[in-house]
Amino acid sequence: MLYGLVAMVTLWLAGPFVWLFVTSVSYQKHLMARPLSFIPPEITLDNYRMITGLMRFHAEGQAAKILPSMWNTLVVAAVVSAVNLVLGTTAGYAYARFRFPLKMFSLFALLFTRMLPTVVLVPAFFVIFRAFGLQNTLTGLVIAYCSFTLPFTVWIMKAYFETVPADLDKSALVDGCNRFQAYYKIVLPVSGPGLVAGGAFTFMLCWNEFVVAQVLNTKPGTTTLPPVIAGMNGQINVDYSVIAASGFLGALPAVLLVLIFQKYMVQGLTAGSVKG
Amino acid sequence: MFRSGAGGLRLTEAGFAWLLALPVLIGIGLVVVVPLAYSLWLSFTDVNLLRAAGPALEAFGIRLPLYRWVGLKNYLQVFDDPLYWSSLWRTLYFVGAFVAEATVVGMAMALVLNERFHGRAVMRSLLLVPWSLSRIVVGLLWVGILDFEFGALNGLLHRAGLIDSYIAFFKNGFSALNVLVSVYMWNQAPFATLLFLAGMQSISEDLYTAAEVDGAGYWQRFHHITLPALRPILFLVLVLCTVNGFLMLDLIYILTMGGPAYDTTTISWLGFQTSFKFFKFGPGTAILYTLTALCLLVTLIYHRLILARFEAEG
Repeated sequence: MLYGLVAMVTLWLAGPFVWLFVTSVSYQKHLMARPLSFIPPEITLDNYRMITGLMRFHAEGQAAKILPSMWNTLVVAAVVSAVNLVLGTTAGYAYARFRFPLKMFSLFALLFTRMLPTVVLVPAFFVIFRAFGLQNTLTGLVIAYCSFTLPFTVWIMKAYFETVPADLDKSALVDGCNRFQAYYKIVLPVSGPGLVAGGAFTFMLCWNEFVVAQVLNTKPGTTTLPPVIAGMNGQINVDYSVIAASGFLGALPAVLLVLIFQKYMVQGLTAGSVKG
Repeated sequence: MFRSGAGGLRLTEAGFAWLLALPVLIGIGLVVVVPLAYSLWLSFTDVNLLRAAGPALEAFGIRLPLYRWVGLKNYLQVFDDPLYWSSLWRTLYFVGAFVAEATVVGMAMALVLNERFHGRAVMRSLLLVPWSLSRIVVGLLWVGILDFEFGALNGLLHRAGLIDSYIAFFKNGFSALNVLVSVYMWNQAPFATLLFLAGMQSISEDLYTAAEVDGAGYWQRFHHITLPALRPILFLVLVLCTVNGFLMLDLIYILTMGGPAYDTTTISWLGFQTSFKFFKFGPGTAILYTLTALCLLVTLIYHRLILARFEAEG
């Protein structure tokens, strides 16, 4: 009975993603066949060849955007994660350790921004970035992405630092470190799991973001992967198997990242959320 | 907390803390508060993206247009539109159904994964798969399952002899809306499960043993031990799901584009389309601001919950 339920949950969680992979190595004609066979009669890598430009097909213009946009996504996600780790971690440490004026107020302000619909900021980013010449640039995306990632990072890091014993910094101060040295020479080196959780989570959010990139970076070659995949889907006469290949390829980095660091991420996220 | 120490030390401590927190607070001010205020301003103006002239903020050679103030005109126009109200009711239905599904399924998965069985660690990793996918990919892979011509679920039902012809899940408006709810639930419920599992692990095993000795059945133990202990987390899940429900946008883009007709048009989709398909930023930001107000309302409840927790912690 228990293993029956476990099997059901497994199928529910992994089945759709596995099926995405199966369709991505199938021919469309086999997906359309009735009765549908759940083990593809023929396995092919053609769909992947098409989206990586190794094989010509009628929608190769759209497919040619996939690899460059993947690079853009990687750059943006990496830079945003770095910014988040530097700024968010220091702030998280301050909130976890010290009392200071307006602490509660600023903490609730952060919480509020975390609940804000990002889409309400996008019209403003649109006009402001146009004025600053940041439209269709990766810099613009980095700035916009910080708006929804920073509050999360601060929160996750705050929750993490609360699990690091405060005696550690105190003894460092006694040993002659100044406050900043105590933070970055003593506390930071033992904070690997927290940093991994915060960094991986930020990276995942940026890697998957769609609406902001879709609206702000419309010029070919400037956007990220999700809008390009959505664009493949929007084109008439592109086989689903090809779209599935681009979807699977695009999903893989984030899924692998999360699975590799899952232990830390689960700890960081549940601590960050349960605490508020 | 450092309560001890001389007055002078505490001052430097606060100063140091401010120094650490300041970069983020300035950053948030620039990338959240400024655009938020500017969006609010835009919702009271007659935005015309093509016309460069008009009032503007000018500094350092950069010209930020302010457009013409029109007062409540955009809001009145939005509230006068029957489509806004039908979208609002649809949003409330969507949020209600989503919160219910995500909580129930999230809890059910947590109950299963909290049991002892071989491969439990692997299963907990699997939880992260639906949640770590881009919603664009989530939408795509459900197309692969539900499609009218090649959907795997249709294929399965067809093979099992339950249907004669494939079902068009997205053809009927109400069906499409419910499919959106369920697909979003597939993506989001695992996070609820993670939170529930974290809560379940903090419940003492002794309570269950004692209850078992007293002859309490599975559901009695769930009702009298698990559920009360999970109450704060349950509340948190409800609030997070409510806000996420209001915000859902990208799945609509990939799955239904708000259709058929307007049957899957929610407030966030209406605001997105008004702003970025028709480039009517005035009414668009007005719609998005009503969405923000709804989220703020939910956050206020959340705020009170956390305030209570802070007080409890001392």
